[in-house]
Amino acid sequence: MVDAVHLLQAATDSLPAYRDFPVIGSRAAVWIAAEIHLMFAAFVLGVPMFAVVAEAIGIFGKDQRYDRLAKEFTRLLLIAYSATAIWGAVLTFLLATLYPKFFAYLTAIFGVSMWVYVSIFFFESFTLYLYYYGWDRWKVGRAKLGHWALGILLNLWGTLVMFIADSWLTYMMTPPRDVTPETVPTSIKLWHAIANHTWMPINIHRLIGNVVFGGAIVGAYASYRFLAAKSDEERAHYDWMGYVGNFIAISALIVLPFAGYWLGREIYQYDQSMGITMMGGFMSWLWVIQAFLIAVLFLTGNYYLWVGMGRIPGAERFRPYTKWLLAVLVVGAIVWGTPHTMIADSRELAAMGGSHHPFLGVLGVMSAKNTAVNLMILATFLSFLLYRRANIRPVVAWAQSGTRIQGAMFAIAAAIVLFFGIRGYFVEAIVRIGYSVYQVGAVLSCIIFVTVIDILMARGAQSLGAIQWGKMPPRSQYALFILAVTFTWLMGLMGFARSGIRQHWHVWQVLQDTTKYAATPALGQAAIMISVCVLIFLALVGFIFWLGGLAEKSTFVPAGKEAQHVGH
Amino acid sequence: MWATNLKVLGVVLGTLALYTLIANKIPQVQSEVPRALTLGADVTPEQLVQAGEQVFTGIGGCTTCHGLGTRAPNLLTDEKGQGPIGARCGKRESGKDCKSYLHEALVQPGAFVVPGYEPIMPDMSRTLSPQQVWAVIAYLEAQGGSVTVTASDIPAASSGGSGGAAGPGVAGGSTDPTAILQGAGCLGCHKLGSEGAAVGPDLTRVGARLNAAGIREAILQPDAKISKGFENFAGIMPKTFGDQLTANQLEAVIRFLAARK
Repeated sequence: MVDAVHLLQAATDSLPAYRDFPVIGSRAAVWIAAEIHLMFAAFVLGVPMFAVVAEAIGIFGKDQRYDRLAKEFTRLLLIAYSATAIWGAVLTFLLATLYPKFFAYLTAIFGVSMWVYVSIFFFESFTLYLYYYGWDRWKVGRAKLGHWALGILLNLWGTLVMFIADSWLTYMMTPPRDVTPETVPTSIKLWHAIANHTWMPINIHRLIGNVVFGGAIVGAYASYRFLAAKSDEERAHYDWMGYVGNFIAISALIVLPFAGYWLGREIYQYDQSMGITMMGGFMSWLWVIQAFLIAVLFLTGNYYLWVGMGRIPGAERFRPYTKWLLAVLVVGAIVWGTPHTMIADSRELAAMGGSHHPFLGVLGVMSAKNTAVNLMILATFLSFLLYRRANIRPVVAWAQSGTRIQGAMFAIAAAIVLFFGIRGYFVEAIVRIGYSVYQVGAVLSCIIFVTVIDILMARGAQSLGAIQWGKMPPRSQYALFILAVTFTWLMGLMGFARSGIRQHWHVWQVLQDTTKYAATPALGQAAIMISVCVLIFLALVGFIFWLGGLAEKSTFVPAGKEAQHVGH
Repeated sequence: MWATNLKVLGVVLGTLALYTLIANKIPQVQSEVPRALTLGADVTPEQLVQAGEQVFTGIGGCTTCHGLGTRAPNLLTDEKGQGPIGARCGKRESGKDCKSYLHEALVQPGAFVVPGYEPIMPDMSRTLSPQQVWAVIAYLEAQGGSVTVTASDIPAASSGGSGGAAGPGVAGGSTDPTAILQGAGCLGCHKLGSEGAAVGPDLTRVGARLNAAGIREAILQPDAKISKGFENFAGIMPKTFGDQLTANQLEAVIRFLAARK
C-alpha cells in the first residue's frame, strides 16, 4: 500500500500542472464538456422519475395513457444514456489531459468512489435495458408490478450515481475544514471528504431540479409533436402530454427555492466570505438575471394554463380573474428583479448614499423580494386551481362553504406574507431572516390544505364538458419551448454560480488554479458560454427525439382503439 | 413542416439571444486573481490610496457589506453622525490609533466587533496580500482623515506583525502568557476571568475541557473541532497564530491555559 502511494506520488510529481486546449482554451473546453454532461445527466435522471410516476398512475389509476407515456420516454432514455456516457468520457479525458495534477489530486482522494461510480452506472444501464425491453413482456398482474419495481430500482441507481458525483464537486467547493494546502490527499479519509458541508444540500437541490428539468423536456417534446401532428387525435394526445410535463415541471419548481435556501445557508455557515461573494459580491447581478429567468418561467407557465383554459368548457367563468393574476405576477417579478447590492465605485456610492438606490433600494431588500416571490407562488397555485376547477361544478353539500374556506386560506396566507414582509423593514437582520420561514410556512400550508379541500370537493362533481384536448392555439406550444430553453439556461447559470464562487481555486483555499484562465469571468462571458452549451445540448436532444421517431412509431393510438381523453 | 421547424428554431435562438444580451448589458465584473502589489520603498500616500481604492471596490469585495448601513458599518459615508471611517477610526478602540485599529479590523476582525453588528467580517489576510491590506488601510484613512500608512509598514505586515509591532512574535516577543493573550487579540473574542468578550468559548477554565494537545490544536487549527454552541462562529478565529507566535510563546500560552481548571 505504501509503495502504491509512493508510486502515485511520483507519478503526480512528474506531471505537468496544466496543458492548454487549441483555439477555445482549456477552461472553455472543460466548461462545455462538464455542462453538457450535466444537462444529459439531469435528463437521464429526471425522465426516469417522470416515467416511474407515470407508470404508477397507469397501474393504480388504470389509465393506459400514462403507461404508454412512460414507455415513450424510456425509449428516448436509451439514446440519451449513450450521450451522457460519451460526454462524461469527454469530460474525464479533458480533465486528465488538461488539468493532470488537479485530476491526480481528486483521484488520490476519491479513487475508490470512482470505481463504485462506474459499477453502479453499469448496473443502472442494464436495469434500464431490462426496464425498456421488458415493458411489453411484463405488462399484467404481478409481472407488471415487478416491472414497475425495476423502474424504482433504475431511479435508485441513478440517485446513487448522482450522489457520488456530487461529492467530488462539493468537495471542491467546501472541503473539510481540517484539509489545508499542506494536507497529503491520500491521507484524507474518503467518507470525510464525501460528507462535506454542501454535499447533502446539493444532492437534494439536484434531485428536485432533475424532476423540473425532466418535466420541461417532456413538455418541449410533446409540443413539437403537437405542432407536427397530422390528425386531431394525435394533436390531442400530445396536447395532453405537454400539459402533464408542464404540470410536473412547475409543481417541482415551486419547491426548488426552499432547497436552494438550504444550500445557500450551508454555504454561508461554511464560509461567510464565500456566501457574501455569491450573494453580494461580484456575482450579485447574477441573481437579478436569475430573478428575470424565474419571472419568465412563472409568466410563461401561467400563460400556458390560461390559454389552455380556452379548451375547457366552463372555464370562461374564471377568465376575468386572469388579468389580476397577471398583475400580481408582473409586479412580483419587477420587485424580485430589483438589484440588492450593486458593485459601484466610490463616486457612485457617494451619489447614492450607499449601495442602495434611494428609491429602488427599498424594493431590493429581502423583505420585499420574499414577499414578492411568495405572492407569485400563491398566484400560480391559484391559476392551477382555476384550471382544475374549470369544467366541473362541485355537488357536495358543503361546496359553497368549502370554496369560502379556500378563499379565506388564500387571504390569510397573503396577509401573513404581507405582514411579515412589511414588518421585516423595522427589525434587525437576524430577526428578519426568521420571517421568511413564517412566509414560506403560510404559503405551503395554504397549498396543502386548499388542495385537500379541492380534491374532496371534486368528488362526484358535475361535469360541464370534457376537455377538448388538441384545441390549443400553436402559440401555447411555443410557450412550452420557451419553458424548456429557460429551464436549461437557468441550470447553466446556477452551475456557473456554484462553480464560480470558488473563484481562483480548484479546491477552495486548498488547491489554487494557477492557469491563465484562473480569473472567474464576468456574467456576459459566462452567458455566452451557457448559451453555447444549451444550444449544443438542445440540438443533440432534438437529434435524439428524431432518432426515437425513426426507430419506432410514437405510442399514440388512433381513436377507435380506445376512449377519448376526458380527464386531467 | 419546414415552417414549423424554422419557427421552433427561431423561438429557441431568440430566447437564448435575449438572455445572452441581457447578461451582457448589465455591469460586467470579473473576479480577478489577487495579485501582490509592487509597492516600492518610495511609494507615496496617493499611490497607496489609489491602489487601496481598486482593492476596496474590486477584488476585496468590501462594498458588498460596507455601505448598506445594515449588514456592516458604512465606511465611505457617515455612520451615525461620526463621519466616514477615516474620521472615526482613531476613536473606535481605546489605546489604538487609526492605523492599528484598521489593520486589526482587516486581519483579526473578531477582535473587536462594532456594537450592533454581527461578527460576519472574514479575515482578509486569507484573500488579500499584506500589500493589498495596507493599501486598503491607506484608502480608508483617506476617507475623512489623513493617511499615516507608509512603505515601512508593509514589510512589517508581510512578516505577520500586527500593525508594525517590532521583534518576533506578538507582544514584543514576551513569554508572559497574559501579555501574549492581550497582544494576539485573544481577549477580543474569549473571556478570561473578568476580562475579554464572549464571542468565542470562555477560557477561564479551559484546562478542565481540553488537555495541552487539544489547546494546541485549537490555536493552530481552530476549525478542526468547533466547540458545541459556537458552530455559527466557525471560520472566524484566525488560523495565523502558528505564524504569529514564536514556539516559546505558543508553549507558554498552552501551559498557562492547560493549568486553568
